[in-house]
Amino acid sequence: MDGLIDARTWGLLLQGVANVTPQSLVMLAVSFVLLYLAIAKGYEPLLLLPIAAGCLLANLPLSPLIAEDGMLRVLYNMGIVNELFPLLIFIGIGALTDFGPLLENPRLVLLGAAGQFGIFLTLLLALAFGFTHNEAASIGIIGAIDGPTSIYVSGLLAPHLLGPITVAAYSYMSLVPIILPPIMKLLTTPAERRIRMPYSQRVISRRTRLLFPIVVTVVVGTLVPFATPLIGMLMLGNLMKESGVVERLTRASAQEIANTVTLFLGLAIGSTMVGSEFLKSSTLFILGLGIVAFVVDAVAGVLFAKLLNLISGGKVNPLIGAAGISAFPMAARVVQKVAQEEDFENFVLMHAMGANAAGQVASVVAGGVLLALMGAGGR
Amino acid sequence: MMRRYTLGVGERTFVVDVQELTADRFEVVVGDQRFDVTLAGNEDLPAATITPGLQPAPGADEARPLSDAARRLHSPVAATASVPVPAAAAAASVPLSAAAPAATPARAVAARGVDVLKAPMPGLILELHVKPGDTVRRGQQVAVLEAMKMHNFIGAPRAGVVAEVCVAVGQAVGHGEAVVRFMPESTS
Repeated sequence: MDGLIDARTWGLLLQGVANVTPQSLVMLAVSFVLLYLAIAKGYEPLLLLPIAAGCLLANLPLSPLIAEDGMLRVLYNMGIVNELFPLLIFIGIGALTDFGPLLENPRLVLLGAAGQFGIFLTLLLALAFGFTHNEAASIGIIGAIDGPTSIYVSGLLAPHLLGPITVAAYSYMSLVPIILPPIMKLLTTPAERRIRMPYSQRVISRRTRLLFPIVVTVVVGTLVPFATPLIGMLMLGNLMKESGVVERLTRASAQEIANTVTLFLGLAIGSTMVGSEFLKSSTLFILGLGIVAFVVDAVAGVLFAKLLNLISGGKVNPLIGAAGISAFPMAARVVQKVAQEEDFENFVLMHAMGANAAGQVASVVAGGVLLALMGAGGR
Repeated sequence: MMRRYTLGVGERTFVVDVQELTADRFEVVVGDQRFDVTLAGNEDLPAATITPGLQPAPGADEARPLSDAARRLHSPVAATASVPVPAAAAAASVPLSAAAPAATPARAVAARGVDVLKAPMPGLILELHVKPGDTVRRGQQVAVLEAMKMHNFIGAPRAGVVAEVCVAVGQAVGHGEAVVRFMPESTS
């Protein structure tokens, strides 16, 4: 036999096995954990499953998928490096977001702003831990609790941290129903949770609904130019939805395009999670700081809503502040659930949705502000 | 939202504070008296005209002076509001406008007695868990209302017997539309 297959041939045949590294084994284990979370636990499966698959495929020995013209590398260059994918997804989010509840109660914008507080506190914390300015800003943006915004900002400022930041952002987003309620209950009294907010029957005119995305694009784009790509795509989707004249485009953006891009995005993000980059102590810091950002957002939102409640003389249920964190529309649903636990006849869903939509816009603006502060450097 | 109405009736002036608790429940304070008021009408509020729904008491159109004994002003605040009217004071009801008699006379309901369960927000009825004749306890699940893609638990506002289910599964309901009617509570 030795005569037929020499050592060199063996080496060629078994080069996969030979190139298994401890790091790649750990990363395979990470991908299995992500697969488990996505499939068995149902945590944001639409994103975590492709990310896990990308991670798995990228960490197999000598994976051709991340070689020069490998599929995952091509996807990465196609839509992550130049920020195309998160922006395409934003069109779909805009087409799915109903800003009606926010337009009915514009005061709720304040709650959306309060829900971004964690971004800036986390940024300072990350700086204190020794991250560079750009890295710290990218970690802080996890506090936007908005996947595409996190990907967009960190892709520009700190592409080498994209993997952990994206995983942190999406994991924590999926934990909204678990993390938010204890915070909300800790910071509010049962009496506050029982505050009823009358359902507004203000009819939002078609003209207002049409003007909203246009005005927001112009105003935000002028004030925070770095937010223009994100806010522009978000509002484009919303304008298409509200106009009702391009239903096919709206549907395609919200479904086919968003779904396709989600697959591409997840695979490409997963492919950045290779051992040498991912298995660093910084990843643990990022995961830890991400949850700080999340919790601080929620705390700030609820406390600010308590302040509004005080000013308004007891007419704002502080729970809706927690919806200001973004994570549309899950956070608003959690708010409604917690309110109803206290009083089954209490329906604050519409107000929570308003705060939630405000949080969505505020996240984007905060991302733009961060980019402006950092001079959008790193490129 | 709190609204303060200052009304002049004859020589007297009344300050009426109307506090909107929910879209169909109001707390009305007249002088030192406090009332829970339930709005029974379903009209869109922006379009509705405020028409007192109280029947003038017999003979009231003779513009009799308000008796001092009845210091309470029973002025419904919105269309066909139901005000708990203590029998003693009913005679002192004040017709507030010439067009006073609205379609329905005020129906006296106990402060807690709500005979109609209304949709708290617009949505789609996904499930119905009761049928006419069912006895429910307060808080028991009556329906599931899908609003903003969320499944909302709709519970019975009080214990009672279901008189009528006003909606069907799959039906879209507007805010304030009746979902279930209950048998009136026996007051005896």
